[in-house]
Amino acid sequence: MRSFAEYLRLYVIIETQYIKARMQYRADFIISSIGMFFSSLATLGVFWVILGTVPSLAGWSLMEMIFIYAFYMIAISPMQILFDHAWQIRFHIQQGTFLKYYFRPLNMMFYYMSEMFDLKGLTQFFVGLALLIYASIQLNLDWTFARVLLLVITVFSAALVQISIVVAASCAAFWVLDSYPVLGLAWKLREFSPYPMSIFDGAFRFAFTYVIPIGFVAFYPSQLFLRPEEVSPLIYFSPLIGVGLFAITYWIWTLGVNSYTGTGS
Amino acid sequence: MRSYLPIARGTFMVGLVYRFGFLFTILGNIVYLSVAYYLWRSIYRYSDVIRGLTFNETFLYVGLGSAVFILLKTYADWYIHYEIREGLIANYLIKPIDFQLYNLSANFGSLLMNLLAITLPTAIMPGLVFKVTISPGAGLFLFPISLLLAFLISFSIDYFIGLMGFYSESVWGLSTTKEIIVTVFSGALIPLQFFPEAIQKVLYWLPFQAIYHTPLMMLTRPQQGLDIFLPMMAVQLAWAVILFVAARLFYNQAIKVLRIAGG
Repeated sequence: MRSFAEYLRLYVIIETQYIKARMQYRADFIISSIGMFFSSLATLGVFWVILGTVPSLAGWSLMEMIFIYAFYMIAISPMQILFDHAWQIRFHIQQGTFLKYYFRPLNMMFYYMSEMFDLKGLTQFFVGLALLIYASIQLNLDWTFARVLLLVITVFSAALVQISIVVAASCAAFWVLDSYPVLGLAWKLREFSPYPMSIFDGAFRFAFTYVIPIGFVAFYPSQLFLRPEEVSPLIYFSPLIGVGLFAITYWIWTLGVNSYTGTGS
Repeated sequence: MRSYLPIARGTFMVGLVYRFGFLFTILGNIVYLSVAYYLWRSIYRYSDVIRGLTFNETFLYVGLGSAVFILLKTYADWYIHYEIREGLIANYLIKPIDFQLYNLSANFGSLLMNLLAITLPTAIMPGLVFKVTISPGAGLFLFPISLLLAFLISFSIDYFIGLMGFYSESVWGLSTTKEIIVTVFSGALIPLQFFPEAIQKVLYWLPFQAIYHTPLMMLTRPQQGLDIFLPMMAVQLAWAVILFVAARLFYNQAIKVLRIAGG
């Protein structure tokens, strides 16, 4: 077993080389960043258009929605930046190139995910951060040290929830070969996490809270900062939910990795 | 024509292989429709008509929009870019077929597959589950033609972006940017009526509204007269011709920079 510090050191070495290699394609980086910029703002554009015609969305103002959306952008960035290789699992499995990940004395998930470091995801993170600061100023939010700490903890938990959902969906590739539809569905669900959960009722609110808890990616944690008096006590368990979901995802990954038999070539 | 029909049939048959995928796409659409239903219901909580549209009309627009979206999203940009980058395009150049028509027929084949497998099951959802009704009118008869024109426009844009592969290694950024611009500005996510007036004026001058807004308005308000629909379709036709020809001219230029190193 290698220590955490050792893995961190390895990660920095691997990504430094990766970034050097990517920087040969500077135009690609710039165009991709522009693409990321537009794609991350699309849903916000929808909110902006809708809130131009009605004063509030289930009681939430445009500025509050911007805050929730900014939180969402920050929370999904770690998945985009660190776990983007999840999208390629299906190719590696179909082509048989997945075998190579078995042959290093490293944690397989670490080794596999370290092969990609998505630079354009940084755009999403910084746009999110800028929007969060902008909305905080407009809403007169008071950022004490305790609240910043709370933000870090909630973002960390939310990011884990998001990572777990996408990685677990990508693991479908171990059993069904083409996991794109499953992954696509998980990806689509992500876009609903900034919606005020109060617009849903019955089965959907239950599902988005307990089954595929996308509510914990953005809306519930944002409530802590915007309307602390309205939060459900469940939010205080969000670190547990994040870590628990990731543990389940890791278990699914291990099952998949152990059941993969290669392509025979 | 005789050589292009089998191409369309081919991609249609390929679609049959991915039955598992259809299931999840339909499931995804059902979730999207339900979320859209709750979202718009909460928007319409305080007034019955917003920007001249009732809840029934808006939800029909958004719901059928998601069903039609699957049809008009061709992925041609990704495939063509891939074929150029990998040099596979050589396989088409040595055959006596037209590259643009080849891709058009291939995409038409998958359009038919998606129509049967995804769009029709999704399209009946708003009626069956959410009890939304379509009123009869001339628009319903014009819809298929309008949809075909929309497909031509959407294909030409994707084809054009795919051809950028002759100049650029990267496709992700370009395709994603294009996709966002098309989905937002075409009215695929929200009816154009909801946009601020000034932006609306600009959007009606762009080709994107001809992809989703025009055919979807024929389903949402089919009772409107021909005097409204025919000019809309004329605009569609004009864009279809302009973009198709523009993409063709671009291909003739772009193909000159192609160098493939052996096989």
